[in-house]
Amino acid sequence: MVSLKIYVATRALLTIPTIIILLTIVFIVMRILPGDPVTAIVGMKAPPEQIQELKRELGLIDDLGNPIPLYIQYFNYFSGIIKGDFGKSLIWGKRPVIVEILEHFPATIELSIMGFIVSLLIGLISGVYSAHKYSSWIDSTIRVYGIISYALFIPWIGMLFQMLFGVQLKILPVAGRIDPGMEPQQITGLFLLDSIITSNMPSFISSLKHLILPSITLGIVLSGIFTRLTRGAMLEVLSQDFITAAKARGLPNRKILLHALKNAFIPILTMMGLQFALLLTGAILTETTFSWPGIGTFLMERINYRDYTTVQGTVVFFAIIISLVSLIVDLIYAYIDPRIRY
Amino acid sequence: MEKNNNKKAITTTMAIALVVALVVGLVLGYLASMLMAPTAPGVTTTVVSTLEKTVTVGAPTVERLIIGVTDKVTDIDPSNAYDFFTWEVLSNTMEGLMKYVPGTTELEYGIARSHTIEENGLVYIFKLKPGLRFADGTPATAEDVVRSIKRVMEINGDPAWLVTDFVEDVVALDSETVKFKLTVPVSYFLALLATPPYFPIHPTYKPKEIDSDQTAGGLGPYRIVKWTRDVELILEANPYYYGGAPKVKQIIVRFFKDATSMRLELEAGRIDIAWRTLLPTDIKDLKAKPNLKTLECPGGFIRYIVINTRIKPFDNKLIRQALAAALNRKAICERVFLGLTEPLYSMVPIGMWSHIDAFKEKYGEHNTDLAKNLLKQAGYSETNKLKIELWYTPTHYGDTEADVALLVKEAWEETGMIEVDIKSAEWTTYVDQSRKGIMGISLFGWYPDYIDPDDYTTAFVNASWLGYAYANAELSKILKDASVLPTVEERTPLYERAQRIWAEDAAIIPMFQGKLVIVSKPNVDGIYLDPTMLLRYWLFFFTG
Repeated sequence: MVSLKIYVATRALLTIPTIIILLTIVFIVMRILPGDPVTAIVGMKAPPEQIQELKRELGLIDDLGNPIPLYIQYFNYFSGIIKGDFGKSLIWGKRPVIVEILEHFPATIELSIMGFIVSLLIGLISGVYSAHKYSSWIDSTIRVYGIISYALFIPWIGMLFQMLFGVQLKILPVAGRIDPGMEPQQITGLFLLDSIITSNMPSFISSLKHLILPSITLGIVLSGIFTRLTRGAMLEVLSQDFITAAKARGLPNRKILLHALKNAFIPILTMMGLQFALLLTGAILTETTFSWPGIGTFLMERINYRDYTTVQGTVVFFAIIISLVSLIVDLIYAYIDPRIRY
Repeated sequence: MEKNNNKKAITTTMAIALVVALVVGLVLGYLASMLMAPTAPGVTTTVVSTLEKTVTVGAPTVERLIIGVTDKVTDIDPSNAYDFFTWEVLSNTMEGLMKYVPGTTELEYGIARSHTIEENGLVYIFKLKPGLRFADGTPATAEDVVRSIKRVMEINGDPAWLVTDFVEDVVALDSETVKFKLTVPVSYFLALLATPPYFPIHPTYKPKEIDSDQTAGGLGPYRIVKWTRDVELILEANPYYYGGAPKVKQIIVRFFKDATSMRLELEAGRIDIAWRTLLPTDIKDLKAKPNLKTLECPGGFIRYIVINTRIKPFDNKLIRQALAAALNRKAICERVFLGLTEPLYSMVPIGMWSHIDAFKEKYGEHNTDLAKNLLKQAGYSETNKLKIELWYTPTHYGDTEADVALLVKEAWEETGMIEVDIKSAEWTTYVDQSRKGIMGISLFGWYPDYIDPDDYTTAFVNASWLGYAYANAELSKILKDASVLPTVEERTPLYERAQRIWAEDAAIIPMFQGKLVIVSKPNVDGIYLDPTMLLRYWLFFFTG
């Protein structure tokens, strides 16, 4: 038990340098990218005085008009982050970055969770079934699916679904998160959950309908890796002696497969942690395709405006979330397999 | 045995892969054909006349109309709002002393009912319409007009120059009278009054700072009831609007991340109007669909080529004239924009008073022979080619920009005496380079601030943001004279002369003018497009 605690502490401490390194990289990359935020914000018609004033306001130059050295800008920003201050956006109202992030993040989380569930369901079911029907045409079909789905481009498959279910059949919405004016009362920011909490059935149905196409798109693209991994792990477990013994004892197939899946689950669990980062990346493309108002599209837009503080804040926020998920997966992994923590 | 099994498995896998590929291909082909192919011969394109003046409103009241856009609302405070879509929203939720007659570039009174001009155009006095009220019922007076304009001057945000460059002072003479004292006489001052920095705002706006998310609005036909940034904007009819209730009680604006999903939502019937900005290929497809209605008209957006006359060899007028003559505007409009832009032969756009095709008069269209002659006179030949760098930015004018640059190069190189090296830079770097005057030839675009020839001319001569690329003393004098003359009749000959000087100097060469295109359900009416590029939501109504 003591060793598990030490493992948890070490693992948690390791996330700190990861975030610092990431923060530093983003800080530098944003500043060596061509173009400055001032021009992006005020446009080409702005007079020179206005440009200077904005630069001063953004902490890029001092009162005398001299540029503030990069390392001082970095330390100013870093000390802010340590105090929990992500800074203020450079554009449109100059709102606190953390407020902007928290407004957009629930949409991404909702989409990611649903996409993850879809990918896991497809991956596990198809992987187990493929292993069960080893070397049959079903196995081959699922293997082909595993390869194709992995190679699918999200905007392409997304548009296909939009055309089929939105335009042709007209049964599902093509874009957006909920029908206009139907947003449930904000509690968690997750519309499905909020509409359940507030017993708002029309909102629940509307947000569920809007979630179906994006989450299936995201789920399908991410499911290939789970299909292939589950199939491989299951084949390995199914060839072991205890499975042969179980079969000899006449256990039904369903029970044997469930038993085998439990044993095959460790590599799948590891992959689940890794996939979470991919899921957020995939969510950016999915969000654009389906006009989903999440953190991905928000981040892309702010990069275009060179909104330094917002981009840095969002990336750090992403890093913290991914590190936390990774930590949780590692802990579960360590809990399941005692060899890890020694 | 195992080898046979493997072989069998591989064969089966390949066969299945082939079948899957075929099925996917068939499905894709079917869907693509459904989406792209014209479904019926009827093309329901209507070109809106910019001269249309009568606004017919009739038809039953319908509760809600949904508009899709890929634009965004930035700062909804008129003291800092400086983009067209935000100005559109402000023009529907606020109103100034003057406004445009829908479908035209002519002005009419907004919240004003009369005005007088005194002291040789230095003083404007306006009388307000009686009984004006904000959307919550608060009475609006001349003091509110003065407070709002002075606030813009004090905050000094992005569009503040539209006030501060012209207005010395503004005072309320009584509750219904506003007096402006100008720094110099300005013939287009009434047009300036139709822009958002002059709109009176509700007293709840923060007095001395930008209130970016404030939705209290002003004296327009609609009021904002809900705004979720980048998601949706819900407007409802303002019960206190002096002009009476709009036919459509509720307007919802949905913000899309990309044009394709907006197009698909229109086809799925989930939005009533797809507004700015559909892709040219999508517009072409949608025009052919009988269950949708397409309207188009020339917009106020223009594109042009800037030649820096301070850089050698572009200080030589013959070279600039040769480039103007060789340009193939029609090819750009047809091949890149599929006919959704119009060739432009003057900086003053088509549809605006005083416009003449000055460049066409002087050079014709894609006149390679003339270009060759001019280049020969300048000392160039097939063996001694003029080498130039043509700059464009891929990050500001859309994905088509690289193709525009390519066609400009193609037309110039057709002379056989020019060699063009295309270079690009990200937008903010591009603007920076422009300010520093280090690009010989570059591509730019212009959205108007106010609807007047002055906005399309004066801003480009001796302009710091163009690195002072172009200067001409005679032109500057003509433009200055034209800016103070009181009537269109007096100003027109001066702008015509200015356009001819422009064509002669060929330092800034107009390329094309954007068209405004809107696609709607067939039962949506009351859509007026004009060079102001702003939709008037209060004119919409459903027909059956």
